[in-house]
Amino acid sequence: MLTWMQDLPNFTAYGTPTYFIYLLVALLPLGIGLYFGKRFSWYEALVSFVFIFLMFDGQSYQQAFSLVAYIIYQTVIVISYFHYRQKQNASAIFYLAVFLSLLPIIIVKFSPAMVGHNSLLGFLGISYLTFRAAGTIIETRDGVVKDLNWWKFVRFMAFMPTITSGPIDRYRRFAKDYQQVPSREKYLDLVAKAVPYLFIGFVYEFVIDYFFGQLWYPFMVKQALLSAPHLSWWVVGVAYTYAGHLYFNFAGYSFFAVAISYLMGVQTPINFNKPFLAKNIKEFWNRWHMTLSFWFRDYIFMRFVFMATKKKWFKNRNVLSSVAYMLNMMVMGFWHGVTWYYILYGFMHGLALVVNDWWLRYKRKHFKIKSTKWTKFVAGFITFNFVVLSFLVFCGFLDKLWFVVPGHH
Amino acid sequence: MTNKQKLWSIFGPVLIAAGLALVVFAIPWKSNNSPATLQKAAVSLSPNVFKNRAIKVQALADKKANYVPFFGSSEFNRMDRYYPATMAAKYHHYRPFMFGSRGTQSLPQLFNMTMMAPQMKNKKAVFVISPQWFVKKGVMPDAFRYYNGTYANLVWLAQANPKSPYDRYTAKRLGELTSDSGTVASYAYKIERGEQLNAFERANIKVRIALLAHEDNLFSGFFLKDNYQKRIQPREKLLPKRYDYDRLYAQAVKAHAKATNNNDLGVLNSFYDQRIKHAKHIAGSQKHFSYLKSPEYADLQVVLNQLKKTNTNVVFMITPVNTKWEQKTGLDMQMYYQTAKKIKFQLQAQGFNHIIDYSHAGSKPGFMNDTIHIGWAGWVDFDHRIAPFLDNPQPAPHYHMNEAFLSTEWQNLTPTATNLQQFKAQHLK
Repeated sequence: MLTWMQDLPNFTAYGTPTYFIYLLVALLPLGIGLYFGKRFSWYEALVSFVFIFLMFDGQSYQQAFSLVAYIIYQTVIVISYFHYRQKQNASAIFYLAVFLSLLPIIIVKFSPAMVGHNSLLGFLGISYLTFRAAGTIIETRDGVVKDLNWWKFVRFMAFMPTITSGPIDRYRRFAKDYQQVPSREKYLDLVAKAVPYLFIGFVYEFVIDYFFGQLWYPFMVKQALLSAPHLSWWVVGVAYTYAGHLYFNFAGYSFFAVAISYLMGVQTPINFNKPFLAKNIKEFWNRWHMTLSFWFRDYIFMRFVFMATKKKWFKNRNVLSSVAYMLNMMVMGFWHGVTWYYILYGFMHGLALVVNDWWLRYKRKHFKIKSTKWTKFVAGFITFNFVVLSFLVFCGFLDKLWFVVPGHH
Repeated sequence: MTNKQKLWSIFGPVLIAAGLALVVFAIPWKSNNSPATLQKAAVSLSPNVFKNRAIKVQALADKKANYVPFFGSSEFNRMDRYYPATMAAKYHHYRPFMFGSRGTQSLPQLFNMTMMAPQMKNKKAVFVISPQWFVKKGVMPDAFRYYNGTYANLVWLAQANPKSPYDRYTAKRLGELTSDSGTVASYAYKIERGEQLNAFERANIKVRIALLAHEDNLFSGFFLKDNYQKRIQPREKLLPKRYDYDRLYAQAVKAHAKATNNNDLGVLNSFYDQRIKHAKHIAGSQKHFSYLKSPEYADLQVVLNQLKKTNTNVVFMITPVNTKWEQKTGLDMQMYYQTAKKIKFQLQAQGFNHIIDYSHAGSKPGFMNDTIHIGWAGWVDFDHRIAPFLDNPQPAPHYHMNEAFLSTEWQNLTPTATNLQQFKAQHLK
């Protein structure tokens, strides 16, 4: 059954330089249209369909079915809730809608830990789509989504440039861009940004990350595993090269996704803003995987703080924010996957945010340290190295080092 | 700025750069590497020599230089003074062109050979087989992708015959190992199903091969690891002027004893210090290793078929393991001998009769460089056995292939005497 789908070539999004040739040629008519003030919706839908299809055909074709089923499922929930919300606003229904929307990802993330293999429901990008759907439900409850139907929602969910790995957009922002055509001047500004973004992406993804991801990181891992299960200096190398690999790979990808969105006349928010220059961990999360951390900030951290304040759960404001930080980061840890290292990663960052807040208060009270180049450097240095350490936990290498029994070479 | 100027300021630089890049790659650059570059490439063991074409084709086509391809894996990186390339430079007429690093098992070698098939036609070659290749899952996808680029894949696809069971098997493996994505995998699956590639697909392959060939001609002479200057040439001087096997052998045993005097395993001192001294959990760590069942047997079969196609006269070597070391790790030596037996059965049943079986040689003094790699006296003996074969004319080989060796039955056959006898009776005439 469906062998034809297995045999078609599969193209991972932005996987090779050639991919961009196909993609840009396909998008050219769209760009010309936008330049002349027209948005060819049907053509855009066609191109998007073809390229999404190419991401999920071939040997991973089961994922295509999971994707379609998932989008239908989420559309039903979101649209039903939207209609309900026009008339009523009971909390229980809202929580039910959010729970149903999160259910697939909960199953997918817990499956490996519970039943030992990946869930069939999963597909590449499910986490990112979950954020979009759940975010839309929350925005609907807040009453800021006024205009929604199934077609608009599907276009938002399946927006091709960002479908597999973000950045995570919000429906309200996206819809505004999508419903109108940018002026010629505005569009040219977008294009003028998109082109250098693409080339920065090329340098990150295909040049720098080649060294980090293909040469240095695997080399360090190999050396470090020679003395498994004991720590060696190579583990330090693993940590730094992985940090480089993760950043250049993901930031490169994000540049591509943003640039392609711009060419399609949609201002997808940027995802990275020189994260390794952050002076403290809070600033780091304002610069690293920004759309994810802002999503968590708005929909988990802030909601929790509001609710706890309203219901007077905590007497002390600082305790409240500490609990909120921990909750926020632990959820993020679980979202990455139910393994000890993702959860520890979330815990480390939660704790770091708490300690950071405490230190800022303590410093203000007890010392008069002037901010100089030197103090900034020290702060940046500590932050960077803490982040690298947390990435070492995150990358799962330690799991391999300590707990995986070495098999045949 | 008018919109026209703005457009030009955005796209002008890109268009000019793209135009220049296209011109550079469309120019059919001639590859002409100097003899010194070829010499360096022959012992560089660099992946860019392995996965590209220009250098090796030029080297093997060079009648005067007399390069002979040596296929193998990690043992080729054990370059003491008795290393085949050093010995050949000192005493013999041929020059080994070494293809082998950790992970270059049968399948990467097949793609390597396919790229230089015309140059291997009716020539000789050496093929070193490690029983360690024959693990349950066969070659690791990462290793395969590291030594095997798009260029080699496309060259293989261009000559693949969807009617041949060998090519269909290879296509299946290629699809699996390239992680199923891109045109290469989809073309490979087509071949696996026994369908011809259509005109468009053939044209696509042709254009891409042409561009990659130009890139190869331009760049592959750079970034070669300079083993020749560092590890071959200086050691040539350490060898006695006149060739005398017994003397060389005795000298190698003696030099080996000196180079391994910080341990009682017969492992090179530096190797011992770095890899063994501080390692825990060695005892019993290989007790459960088995090389008896593996897709590698079928992978080896497609290599043999390729050698038959090019009518290459090959001498095989089956590598030894350090017995003292394996006593510690608990490797089942009977299993090791059985693996060698299974490999030999597959070779001899099809007329590949030049086999140097070192599987029992791992306890000879001075024979091993470290834990699982031959060296020193081992290299002296190896050289002694291959040199007459390579330097003197040999009768043409007569290979007769049998598809039964592609089957999962063979891949998973435990090579007891009865099982082999039965397999022979059922499948081999």
